[in-house]
Amino acid sequence: MKDSRRSRLFLGLLLAVALVLITVDHRSENTPVFGPLRTIVTSAFGAVERGVSTVTEPIGGFVGALAGAQGSREQITNLKAQNSKLEGELSSQRIDKRRSAELQAMLGLSGLGGYKVVPAQVVARRASPGFEDAVEIDAGTADGIKPDMTVLNGQGLVGRVVRATTSTATVVLLCDPASSTGARIENSGELGVISGLGANGNSGRRIMFRLLDSTLPIAAGTRLVSFGSQQGVPYVAGVPIGVIEKVEATPGELTRTAYAKPFADLSSIDVVGVVVEGPKRDPRDSLLPPAPKPAAKPKPKPKPATSALPGQQAPPQIARPGVTNPETGPANRAPAGPENTAPRNTRPENTAPENTAPENPENVAPADTRTTDRENRGETSIPDDEAA
Amino acid sequence: MPRILLTTLLVLTALVLQVTVVNRLPVSVVPDFVLLVVIALGAIRGPVAGATIGFFSGLGADLLPPADHALGQHALVLCLVGFTAGRWAERWPLLTVAACAVGAPAFALAVSGLLGDPGIDLRTFEAVWPMAALVNLLAAPVVVWAVLKVLGPRPEKATAAAVPGWRRA
Repeated sequence: MKDSRRSRLFLGLLLAVALVLITVDHRSENTPVFGPLRTIVTSAFGAVERGVSTVTEPIGGFVGALAGAQGSREQITNLKAQNSKLEGELSSQRIDKRRSAELQAMLGLSGLGGYKVVPAQVVARRASPGFEDAVEIDAGTADGIKPDMTVLNGQGLVGRVVRATTSTATVVLLCDPASSTGARIENSGELGVISGLGANGNSGRRIMFRLLDSTLPIAAGTRLVSFGSQQGVPYVAGVPIGVIEKVEATPGELTRTAYAKPFADLSSIDVVGVVVEGPKRDPRDSLLPPAPKPAAKPKPKPKPATSALPGQQAPPQIARPGVTNPETGPANRAPAGPENTAPRNTRPENTAPENTAPENPENVAPADTRTTDRENRGETSIPDDEAA
Repeated sequence: MPRILLTTLLVLTALVLQVTVVNRLPVSVVPDFVLLVVIALGAIRGPVAGATIGFFSGLGADLLPPADHALGQHALVLCLVGFTAGRWAERWPLLTVAACAVGAPAFALAVSGLLGDPGIDLRTFEAVWPMAALVNLLAAPVVVWAVLKVLGPRPEKATAAAVPGWRRA
């Protein structure tokens, strides 16, 4: 075993290098020593991941088609061949349809909140035990994405951007144990902190909510929206986060602990939007989906003060329209009368007779924006329900 | 030289496919193919090569986006795993591969816990490790067989004893 000593020495050397790397990377939080290295490798691998994702996208559809083709077993062989071909086409269409529904829901949500979003798609995901919950999306600094931007999908908050290269960005999910988000209870100003549970949270299906005021009662079914940070960095205000599932009895503690289910399905996210520009005003609770029946009675959900604001009803501002499917593009998503609900037209001088000329027949008075507002909300809730 | 190229290609493929395809499958627990490839390569190539392959694969895994942990964590884990696999695979091939596949997630969790990553405690360990170990164990024979197919058996004279064991694996 003359080789063994040399090999042990070598192992020790490599382990020491690894430890040094860990130490240096840990210590240099603010001035990342490995920043350039990370940037170069991340761009290179990001490009490869994008490519591979494009090629392997049909795999998911293929698996789905296999699972769904059980009933066609007794078909004759040629019919079977034809069937599998059609099935493949159908499943790819189904994927497209699902994606377009997701995109539509996301645009609806961001339009409702007045966020300016960049749509993106998840290309890679990390899920090793003991490591972070993060995904890679196919939009980067070239699309205006910077670190510490909010990421959402059609159902609610997904996470935030931690690193961005030219064409890809890394998003740490809400369920990552290291992430914490300021949250606010629906219809009240009570604040708390959402933290991820990682693997303890049943792979992203549960997150922890700590209410800062431990004396307040909190019940299952209470819904949470993001509180928002200064300048919307890293989280913009008003994004739906989740609904409380379980409240833990924590007598004598300074905070109240509850467990919430995120609105966004963090275990299978696909189409997301990165908020590149926050709303001018806090959308408060207006982005929450319609309340379930029993909860609706005591709490009429849309606050009149916020829902009557025509400024919140701006059409979804999409910063990278080239990505969207033409048939699902923002044009279809636009509310009934976008120009008429825009804030500038609600000013008195815009209700002058020349604006109510025949070529602009749908021009409505500010009082009527409330009805369009409500209609639009009902409309956006449909894709939400479909996707749920 | 072609062996190095082939090894590099194998590891890179495993790295990219892991994050783009395997981790995105709609199941909650997936095997770690990078780890299994490192185990297989270490078992075939011996301790020094195993440690080197493990170190650089781990470095790749640390740099591969999406990443948000300290650089070197994977390198540390996979370096030791590659060495272990290479050191004892000759004597007990099946046992070594199984022990590495089962032990590596536990070691990774322990390293994360020692480095003070938030949310890593005994409860996480209990929730994560058994399933991760099980799926790794199930996927290990397939990966080892595939890597053996690509690279061929261990090229030392001691392999005569090891090869029958491999064939059974």
